[in-house]
Amino acid sequence: MAALEARNVKVGQELPSLVKGPITKDELKAYGAASGDPNPIHIDEEFAKNAGYPGVFAHGMLSMGYLGEFLVEAGGAPEAVRKFRARFAKLTWPGDVLTCKGIVTAVREEGGARLVDCDIWTENQAGERKITGSATLTLR
Amino acid sequence: MPSKDMIGRVLSTGSATITAEHVAAFADALGDRNPRYRGPGAVAPPTYPIAFMIEAMSGGMETFLELGLNFMTLVHGEQEFEYTRLLKVGETLSLVGRIGDIYEKTGSSGTLDFVTMETEAKDEAGEVVFYSRNVLISRRA
Repeated sequence: MAALEARNVKVGQELPSLVKGPITKDELKAYGAASGDPNPIHIDEEFAKNAGYPGVFAHGMLSMGYLGEFLVEAGGAPEAVRKFRARFAKLTWPGDVLTCKGIVTAVREEGGARLVDCDIWTENQAGERKITGSATLTLR
Repeated sequence: MPSKDMIGRVLSTGSATITAEHVAAFADALGDRNPRYRGPGAVAPPTYPIAFMIEAMSGGMETFLELGLNFMTLVHGEQEFEYTRLLKVGETLSLVGRIGDIYEKTGSSGTLDFVTMETEAKDEAGEVVFYSRNVLISRRA
């Protein structure tokens, strides 16, 4: 689906969804290395189990990164993303397939640009919402 | 438990230089193939600041320990960015991180401590390029 368009964007409109995954343990290692996150809970099975989890789980910021890609596509360019907030509500596990989704909640004008507020979230293959948040996109 | 006296305290300062290699590696790790994140004129993807904030701000460890959070149960609860422009490869940013708020919530599983960290990043001209706010949560031991 194409990016949102400034001339016809409407409240209630869905953003074009983006599917990522299934997430692998190798991806968690790669993300940990590239993002400089030293927490072994995302890469070391034993460590995760000792901390009381069934195993390693994904970095919240990995899922937020997927939402970043989704917002850039919805807004048409990296410049479009003006505000971006995420709450890490539930854990994401290896094997999860995440779909990034969003809906337009407000459309306003500011300095000749059209600003679009959205609610955004990721959900897994069972339809369970994992991270929820909001964003403001500038459309030109 | 964290003391409310620490609200407003500068936690750490630091700087970070954005390199083409690091931005491309970060985009690769997200599986994001956008060509704007590659090459000498590249810009950074929206969540890229996290990739240098952790390291640049690690000098604040002592203050962080002074907060008295339970590290065994520490999780990243929320993250927020507000951007004034895109980050570009080759530029150096200076960062100042402050403790924005400290509060607690008690529920069926015990008491949770919340610490909000606010980071401001400026470019070489002294202009703010982004604000970051993150919420750390730990369960009291």
